[in-house]
Amino acid sequence: MTQMDADKPADDGKALTDSAEEASVEEVAVVQKPVEEVPAKEPPVEEPPAAEVVEVVDEHPGARLVVIKHHALVRLSHWLNVPILFALIVSGLSIYWASPVFLHKPDPVTHSRDYLADLGIAIARHVPGAKADGFWFYDHFGLGVFNLAGALRWHWLFVYLFLATGVLYILGLLLGGGYRALLPRRSMVADGFAMIRYYAGVVPMKILRHPWPHPHITTKYNALQRGAYASMPIAGALALASGWAMHKPVQFWWLERLFGSYDGARIVHFAVMIYFILFLVPHVVLVLVDGWDTMRSMIVGWSGRIGGSHD
Amino acid sequence: MTKETAGELPERYIDEKKLRRQSRRDFILFGTGAFAALAGLWWIAPLGSKKKVFGEHTADALDTLAARLGATRERSERFQNRALTFDDDIAEALYSPNRTVRTYSKRDITPLRNNYEGRTPSPDYIKEWTLTLTGLASGNDVVLRLPDLSSLAQHEQITRLCCVEGWSAIAGWSGIRFSDLLRAYPPGPGAKWAAIESAVNLDGNGNPDPYYVSIDLPTARHPQTLLATHLNGTPLGADHGAPLRLVAPMKLGLKNIKAITKIAYTVDEPRDFWGERGYSKYDGL
Repeated sequence: MTQMDADKPADDGKALTDSAEEASVEEVAVVQKPVEEVPAKEPPVEEPPAAEVVEVVDEHPGARLVVIKHHALVRLSHWLNVPILFALIVSGLSIYWASPVFLHKPDPVTHSRDYLADLGIAIARHVPGAKADGFWFYDHFGLGVFNLAGALRWHWLFVYLFLATGVLYILGLLLGGGYRALLPRRSMVADGFAMIRYYAGVVPMKILRHPWPHPHITTKYNALQRGAYASMPIAGALALASGWAMHKPVQFWWLERLFGSYDGARIVHFAVMIYFILFLVPHVVLVLVDGWDTMRSMIVGWSGRIGGSHD
Repeated sequence: MTKETAGELPERYIDEKKLRRQSRRDFILFGTGAFAALAGLWWIAPLGSKKKVFGEHTADALDTLAARLGATRERSERFQNRALTFDDDIAEALYSPNRTVRTYSKRDITPLRNNYEGRTPSPDYIKEWTLTLTGLASGNDVVLRLPDLSSLAQHEQITRLCCVEGWSAIAGWSGIRFSDLLRAYPPGPGAKWAAIESAVNLDGNGNPDPYYVSIDLPTARHPQTLLATHLNGTPLGADHGAPLRLVAPMKLGLKNIKAITKIAYTVDEPRDFWGERGYSKYDGL
């Protein structure tokens, strides 16, 4: 008998065995209010051992059952990454302006010679009052043109912060056990297709008023989230590796060789930035769609959604 | 919880009061952090970007407010320059005199662009060219002409020049080793730096605009740091710094000063053209 069992009043309630944990979770979720017979000073119980006999009555007066979702360091590093990635991207674009990699023959009309400037020209044409020239993109999405020195200074400042944040994140994953929800699983591929099918149908089915249930998820993340979130530390490491390969190609010559060449590292570095941006769009949209609980859990660490995220 | 999900969604009973207290604390921290991040980014953002986002009037007003609260432009510059010196310190710590720069074969050679900041000087200066060495152990200045250097051993290398702008080029260089010059004309006691100048550089309008860089002596002594006279087998032209230029492939291209006219050995760190214009000063690759 553990101390926990000894403290408990053994008068009422049915005893549950083995699968007790799951059942008790559901029952207690219903019985939210404290029950009078139970002594009020009972300490909150941590995961009862499954094999032990567990009472169903509310043994947790004044306590709320919550899901522990994100370790404090994971939350901290998550939010720190918002200004850091923003600063790295805008300064990175100004650095890129100084010597673009994705070049074409100068356009006879716009004089643009790189594809990002072209993108800027295409956007500026739809912005009232904007001058559709090769500078527009870097002026509005970067730290401006002819500001290589200022952009490099930002980039170095924020890359060390990014590095430190990455360490905090990994530490948080390990301390909070969050890494478990990111490890690949065999069922990921099939589950991933189920999620793609769900996302593809969710809007048309809403219009058709056809029921379209969210696939049942018993893990912290669905397969697509798992893949996307697990790819983030990898993308971060790739950004750092390709960045340092360019920054110190002599001292870290082996890092540069890893990317084939100097320009290879530049292309990977650029591609990772695009990947971060591509991740960000659905990430923000889906958290807004998913609701306040999900957003709040990244600030306070806990979620009120007991027993999985959906259904 | 099934075995599958074990550990992924741990559930806990937490005292309601404690939960509320912690959550309130986290929200306050979050809000404070978000405000600090925005204020911090504002503080270090270039004025041009701020005006684009907030409009001229608002940007100026907010800047004045920030300056009143102590977040002045000067402090912002000083803070950001710390990021540069920090990065330079890391670069200096990474440097090893024994680590050789990668060399390439002849077929890897790429076109090398003339990246003179201003106009390329007219080749007339080459005839009159001399190299002045000061800060020597002998106490006297030495003025050298090109034939004076021919007694020193010639070296060839095909290395890459990396520009701070992001492009790079592979070129074959030949000339003397800087370390041989240092042995032939040793610097004075305590010298840690070489202040290298070119008096012939011009600005965009063709007016004299001397260029100068600081090179730490450990870098100057590296066996792959050359004072080059030839590019890809032919004597340097005015576009690539005839008749003598620095080739230090473990430094950014901007340190590879062309048309050197003076080398002064100093105890204290000398001034550096791009270092004075917001770039870093060590520039180690």
